[in-house]
Amino acid sequence: MRTLLCGVVLALMAAGLGRAQYDHSVLEARAVTATDAAHSNSTLKMAVVVQVAAGYHINDRKPSLDYLIPTELKLEPSAEITVKDVVYPKGTLKKLAFSDSALSVYEGKVVVGALLQVAKGVPPGSYFVKGKFAYQACNDHACLPPTSVPLEVTVRVVPRDVPLKQVDADVFQRIQFE
Amino acid sequence: MEEQKPIESSLQDKAQVVESSPQNQKTVKKLKLLGGALLGVILVVGLYFVNRYWISPAVKTQMKGSLDHPLAPGFSLTDITGQPLKLSDYQGKVVMLDFWATWCGPCRIEIPGFIQLQNQYRGQGLAIIGISMDDDSKPVVEFFRELHMNYPVAVGNDRLGELYGGVLGLPTTFLIGRDGRIYAKHVGATDLGIFEAEIKQLLALSANGEATSFHQAGQVFAEDKIELGNPTEVDSEVPGVDQTKLSAEQKEAFKKQLADQQCTCGCKFNLLKCRQVDRKCGVSLKLARQQLEAFLKNKG
Repeated sequence: MRTLLCGVVLALMAAGLGRAQYDHSVLEARAVTATDAAHSNSTLKMAVVVQVAAGYHINDRKPSLDYLIPTELKLEPSAEITVKDVVYPKGTLKKLAFSDSALSVYEGKVVVGALLQVAKGVPPGSYFVKGKFAYQACNDHACLPPTSVPLEVTVRVVPRDVPLKQVDADVFQRIQFE
Repeated sequence: MEEQKPIESSLQDKAQVVESSPQNQKTVKKLKLLGGALLGVILVVGLYFVNRYWISPAVKTQMKGSLDHPLAPGFSLTDITGQPLKLSDYQGKVVMLDFWATWCGPCRIEIPGFIQLQNQYRGQGLAIIGISMDDDSKPVVEFFRELHMNYPVAVGNDRLGELYGGVLGLPTTFLIGRDGRIYAKHVGATDLGIFEAEIKQLLALSANGEATSFHQAGQVFAEDKIELGNPTEVDSEVPGVDQTKLSAEQKEAFKKQLADQQCTCGCKFNLLKCRQVDRKCGVSLKLARQQLEAFLKNKG
């Protein structure tokens, strides 16, 4: 009897895992900078750390099939801070039930980098870089509509003689800035 | 030696003897009355049990069935070839309503099977309708032509999705019976055999009355439960928020209250604008509903 009950419970768990619920919040994202502040007329590394819920994936920046919606980090430049480059990670090749060939996707923890340029002569103070992380998520059975997560990072510009402290080093190790 | 009589004849003789005496005739009358009363009691008790275990559950099942098989919300769209597409034009047919999108891999993989089903069961009364949730019709037209789709496809909208209970995961496919009721909902790519089994069941049923005998083929998941959107919320001036308890003046005041508040979803709009331009935004929906509750409390 006990074996039978365990079997039933395991079967139900397997069914649940096989078909994850189509929860809208399948992704969390936060933006961080490589140093606690920045100097004017210098570059600042920024990263968006994304966590995709288990069982789901989002498309690569350069998807394997032309009909798939690419992942994109969109940042708004301002007079004080512009965006020099955005660096996407390499996707993971995954064979999905709906495709004959493996597709390049992002799963789990994903880190997207951005190189910001603080303009010359920007006076000390706090500046905001706003943007959004746009994605379209699917699991093996179904897809969610394309959506985005709003992002905002504060860049504190300090005088040249103020030293900068490194933060979130482990995050920035994952990004290959050119 | 006495001749042995057959048993039946012996019993008849005994009965004649019993009935012949006047005292016995009274006893027989009493027994007949008693028997009649007993039969009556048995009949009443029997009827009670028949009602309790047979008729009543059947009525309850029928009532439950009405909740399980809601009427499919009507719609009127223009398909991608420019033809009008109205659900009401499909009365008496079994309709397979497929919400899909060109950017959705699991949706695309189902479509060749749907073309096959439409070919096979069109003559028996099956009509497949595709509602694409793409923002733009261009990729839909391309895909329609590329696959030689043999059923009408229209580009849908969030309102229609909401009327059908919110089609968040794609594909979402509804099976509508000849009576206009929704009998099955499948979220995610589904085995063609499951659709075929359900279509066959529905094709075999008449349009008269709800088919309580229908059963979904395959495993039924929590997200496959049929729950439709509330039209008063869907068609509200503040989408998703039921304003029917408010007077015309109060509605204006409530909208002003929403317009004065910033939405926190990152859209840069106020709450009212966010609700109106992004019906799918869960943040503004939750905030607007909270605002309505507070508004009603203050007014009450």
